[in-house]
Amino acid sequence: MKVELEVLSAKALSGKTGSEKLELILSAIKKNKNKIIVLEEPLSRSDEKELITKTMSLVSKGFPGIEVASIGEEAADFKTQLLKFLGGKTTGLTVIGPSSLVRQVKRDPNSLSLTAGR
Amino acid sequence: MPFRKFFSWLLGFLGRREAFSLGLYGNVNAGKSTLANKISKDWTGEEMSEVSEIPHETREVKKKERVSLKVDGKVVTMNLLDMPGIATKVDYRDFVKRGMSTEQAQKRAKEATKGIIEAIKWLEHVDAALLVMDACEDPYTQVNITILGNLEARKIPVIIVANKIDKKAAKPERIKAAFPQHPVVEISALRGDNIQGLYSAIAKHAR
Repeated sequence: MKVELEVLSAKALSGKTGSEKLELILSAIKKNKNKIIVLEEPLSRSDEKELITKTMSLVSKGFPGIEVASIGEEAADFKTQLLKFLGGKTTGLTVIGPSSLVRQVKRDPNSLSLTAGR
Repeated sequence: MPFRKFFSWLLGFLGRREAFSLGLYGNVNAGKSTLANKISKDWTGEEMSEVSEIPHETREVKKKERVSLKVDGKVVTMNLLDMPGIATKVDYRDFVKRGMSTEQAQKRAKEATKGIIEAIKWLEHVDAALLVMDACEDPYTQVNITILGNLEARKIPVIIVANKIDKKAAKPERIKAAFPQHPVVEISALRGDNIQGLYSAIAKHAR
């Protein structure tokens, strides 16, 4: 089985709204069920909530949902938010894949481990 | 808000205390409905939700209004909201494996997805929350992190409930270590272990 890993840089995501980011992620995962997406930034808590909501509205016989995990803090203070607004990097990342491919994601505050396969 | 405080005082003065909404959140099968039933039964004499080993038994928000707890000399009145378990996936085949027909399983999956969306919408409307975790499972799940992060962002008081401590595999200390910033109460909703401790915590933290 072939698994595709797509890494989206913070720069590639910088001009996008939360909603646009989620559309991009979900359409890519739905299109290619062997794809795992890595974002070079943690999703905000609000985006995570929206991601679950949007995923639930897409669940069907062929798409049971996703596995997702973020590490790192979302941009909380003014300096980090400004850095992010200017297209800079924030620390952290997010891993998202279809649940039909990603069997398990284990996380702790400092690491993520992912098991994929069918 | 001065008007809100005045209205609250007026309701208290007239003998009809203002109720706050307490949402029970958590992963699927964490024991939310068992706990909701225990609280409701203890203070109203009636249960409020169906309980099952099959995931997503609660697929819509169950509400029990004006549940009054009398704890440590205080009366706390709340509207209890038993939320559907939140998940990032709902696979109808999991229900088929548990003996349901394909048609029944697909219907249940559809209802479960709607329930999850409803539970998430309610995150913006509850006044306080119990985040129920199965003490036998890894507490550091994305669902727990997302629920907690959204409640924290809105400054909604949260009590973490380390449930199922009656089981041998329970490790409530993992929950305490993962979320040191919140009060954690260890209970068994099924057996009622330390349920008084939870009621005291609700009276102390939820208002």
